[in-house]
Amino acid sequence: MTRRRLPEWFVLLLPAIIVIAAVVLIPLLFSLYSSFTPYKLTRPSTLWKWVGTYNYEKILSDAKFWAAFGRTVLFLTIVLNLELLFGLGIALMMNKVTWGQRTLRTILMFPMMFSPILVGFQFKFIFNDNIGLVNNVLQSMGFNVALPWLVDAKLAMFSIMFAEIWMSTSVFAILILAGLFAMPRDPLEAAKVDGCTPWQSFRHITLPFLMPFIYIAMTIRSLDVARAYDIVQIMTGGGPARRTELLWTLMSRTGYVDARMGLANAMGYVSILLSILFTIYFFRKLSAARAELGMAG
Amino acid sequence: MTEVTLSKVVKKYGALQAVHGIDLDIKDGEFVVLVGPSGCGKSTTLRMIAGLEDISGGEVAIGGRVVNDLPPRERNISMVFQNYALYPHMTVRENLGFSLKIAKRPEQEIVKAVDEAAGILGLDELMDRKPAALSGGQRQRVAMGRAIVRHPDVFLFDEPLSNLDAKLRTQMRVEIKKLHQKVESTIIYVTHDQVEAMTLADRIVLMRDGHIVQVGTPLELFNKPVDTFVATFIGSPPMNLVDGVVQGDSIVLNGSVSVPLPVSAGKLTNGQAVKFGFRADNLMPIGHAVEEEGAAHEVDLSVTLTEPLGTETLLYTNMAGVEVQAKMFNPRPVAPGEQLHFRLTLDKCHVFDAKSGQAVRG
Amino acid sequence: MDRNQSHRNRRRVLKTLHFTALFLTMMIICIPGLWIVLNSFRPTVEIMAKPPVWVPSFTLDHYRAMFAGAGEGGVPVFSYFRNSLIVSVTSTLIAILIGMSGGYAFARYRFKGKNGYFVGLMLFRAVPGVALSLPLFIVFAKVGIIDTHFGLILAYVAMNVPFTIWLTDGFFRQIPKELHEAAEIDGCTRWQAFWQVEFPVARSGVASAAIFAFLTSWNEFALASQLTRSVGSKTMPVGLLDFTAEFTINWGGMCALAVLMIVPALILTFIVQKHLIAGLTFGGVKG
Ligand SMILES: Nc1ncnc2c1ncn2[C@@H]1O[C@H](COP(=O)(O)OP(=O)(O)OP(=O)(O)O)[C@@H](O)[C@H]1O
Ligand SMILES: [Mg+2]
Repeated sequence: MTRRRLPEWFVLLLPAIIVIAAVVLIPLLFSLYSSFTPYKLTRPSTLWKWVGTYNYEKILSDAKFWAAFGRTVLFLTIVLNLELLFGLGIALMMNKVTWGQRTLRTILMFPMMFSPILVGFQFKFIFNDNIGLVNNVLQSMGFNVALPWLVDAKLAMFSIMFAEIWMSTSVFAILILAGLFAMPRDPLEAAKVDGCTPWQSFRHITLPFLMPFIYIAMTIRSLDVARAYDIVQIMTGGGPARRTELLWTLMSRTGYVDARMGLANAMGYVSILLSILFTIYFFRKLSAARAELGMAG
Repeated sequence: MTEVTLSKVVKKYGALQAVHGIDLDIKDGEFVVLVGPSGCGKSTTLRMIAGLEDISGGEVAIGGRVVNDLPPRERNISMVFQNYALYPHMTVRENLGFSLKIAKRPEQEIVKAVDEAAGILGLDELMDRKPAALSGGQRQRVAMGRAIVRHPDVFLFDEPLSNLDAKLRTQMRVEIKKLHQKVESTIIYVTHDQVEAMTLADRIVLMRDGHIVQVGTPLELFNKPVDTFVATFIGSPPMNLVDGVVQGDSIVLNGSVSVPLPVSAGKLTNGQAVKFGFRADNLMPIGHAVEEEGAAHEVDLSVTLTEPLGTETLLYTNMAGVEVQAKMFNPRPVAPGEQLHFRLTLDKCHVFDAKSGQAVRG
Repeated sequence: MDRNQSHRNRRRVLKTLHFTALFLTMMIICIPGLWIVLNSFRPTVEIMAKPPVWVPSFTLDHYRAMFAGAGEGGVPVFSYFRNSLIVSVTSTLIAILIGMSGGYAFARYRFKGKNGYFVGLMLFRAVPGVALSLPLFIVFAKVGIIDTHFGLILAYVAMNVPFTIWLTDGFFRQIPKELHEAAEIDGCTRWQAFWQVEFPVARSGVASAAIFAFLTSWNEFALASQLTRSVGSKTMPVGLLDFTAEFTINWGGMCALAVLMIVPALILTFIVQKHLIAGLTFGGVKG
């Protein structure tokens, strides 16, 4: 009697699935295939030559690749942790503010609106060794130096991290602040009466409550860690002498400058895997924290 | 004519069976209350009648027409939800008129119907407010108004009063009863509160674990519970139950106290394990009892605790090692430990089979 | 007495510290952006001056050059702005429609493997733009939609749909399901119930999801830089590169274009900031 039809939820999801399949899945399958070929943009026929895992073996035995990979992981670890720390600090400070909080919160959202590439240019400008704001200020204060912010390897890495942190700390601060607003007062007051020091009540009451919010921020951030590509590409292009080369800039150079698509796509897969790993990790943390919060009421 | 008929209605959620083949005939204009403990399938049954939940088996008919596969809008019913489900972006007036607007009725008719409903429920002052600016009781009234505007064949209520405080609940109960007298439509009302069920229903349907346990008027359920579940669910305080064994013409309670068999009791075999049930209203200290005729059994019991309620006092005593409740009318102060002489009205006592819990009645 | 005094002193010190830290934070957040705005109004000689000039003079030269168009060696800002606008608005509208439909499915229906689908969709959002841009470039070139608005719109729709689903799922889940049930009983079809009741109630949330999608498209660079080539389709983030030559950068001009990029984004974010936060947190917390 009842006709067999696609379930409604599936029909509703179908457009999303189709678009994503067309724009993301198919290219990814193509790139997966091409990562097993010596494909070069300049010689299309190379697409049909199967070389098996040659590209992967090549990158896995390539010191430059491993350096970029290690640097990327290190970069992400440092940056994400610092963003979390600063975000937490800013949120706690903002929570204590008694006036003008709305304005401050709006200011806090500024960096979220900036295009990553714009952030790149902005800090390339500010850290410019000749006319940059930082050096100008230093010189006006009497230090007769022109620090090579974007040329020296260590300083360049610092500058890039600074830009990245400037851009993304807001996400943490805003979401943690939302968590603080949503937090019930009674447990904190009870703790105060019970004689907890401010640190103790932060450690044992506030922080556990904030965990889900922190994981949401982490998940959202891990969805687009690769935005750092725009910044690095503009600020140093991976230089000097590849000292700030990250996985993404290396891949883009291999693909677009050297036109070695097969090899670049193999690297692309490693970077995709990395992103997915980060995302899944935080998603799981989020689910766990959510379940805990649900039990706590 | 809008009778509602359920035949062998089943609801499955995957492997879990929430409703096990319910049969129920509801007459035109009848006020039927579905009552039972939490999770027994009341809401599920109601939502199947409303068309909000697919029916896994059996048939639902409204006004003689099988509606199993009809969407809610083609069933001409209206429903009041526990959380009211008022449209937050519409004013009270728009909320009330929404269904008529959707049905593309002419403007004048909508205005007239809305004003009429507002008049019945006393909403005139609130017409231009949004639901967020209403109190709980007012929201409840708007939800009822929205239901009556359409003059539906059947009203469905799913615990409409459970979000109100005790006083408001009593007040709204009366209003719902008045509303029924005014509109004379069939009403199916879900609650887990037996007082609501007793006070509102023409007929109560008592459910447990997806089954109907007993259907009847409030007094039938109160006076002739089919089993111990009904006996303890209906009535407050719940019926006292004491384990016993039949011995000839009497029941020996917990091997100590002996009580004569009530005349109403049906076939019992010697040595049968039973549960002996009686309500607090039927165990009263002599001198403080309401006039009762019929056979009685007298017994001395000592009081352990008292709960004065004004016109009566609830006495906690101990009968054959089981705590039982008794009632004292025209009460005087009673000290804990005091021994009183009680009168148990045997005609009003019940005997249930201990194993099955079923009432044994002549 | 003394203890009271010392506590009072400590509180005063803490208060000062708090204020200073907050002030510094706000400075660090604001100065880079303000520096861009400031320099867009300074003549190039002053930007490049050594030693630095601290008292800025005011000029509209960079804006004048920018809006003068490509003819005079300037950058075709109008075209870039128009491209950005067309691509961002269209892709946002489509992404919202598709995402809302998906978000609704997640919020309202129970089905097997729901969590799996959800995470799966999110993972597609996690694919780095650079990693996607290589194969997407080849596929789009084969299909012949490279360097077109359509191609970029398509890419951005796919990029925005997962996150839109996350946000709208959160917003729809906040709406009790009894609301559409009541509407259906009041005579609506499921379709009517959605547009008459659930959509109006979730409207502000959907708007903030839209703005998130808009900002992503408006600011995106990695894909756009590969999928667009000509003035007819390049967006503003890609256009920023026009101010760079082999060894020099026209900072003033670039700052002017940057301002043009930031202002619309700023205004939009102002409008929805409150809902934005609510959407993110509800989507995540109320599992
Ligand atoms: N969507 C669902 N999926 C799976 N099981 C469900 C679903 N809805 C209800 N149930 C189960 O069906 C049974 C009956 O639920 P129902 O809501 O009808 O109970 P109820 O009698 O209305 O209880 P309450 O008084 O708490 O409202 C319960 O065991 C419940 O867990
Ligand atoms: Mg229920």
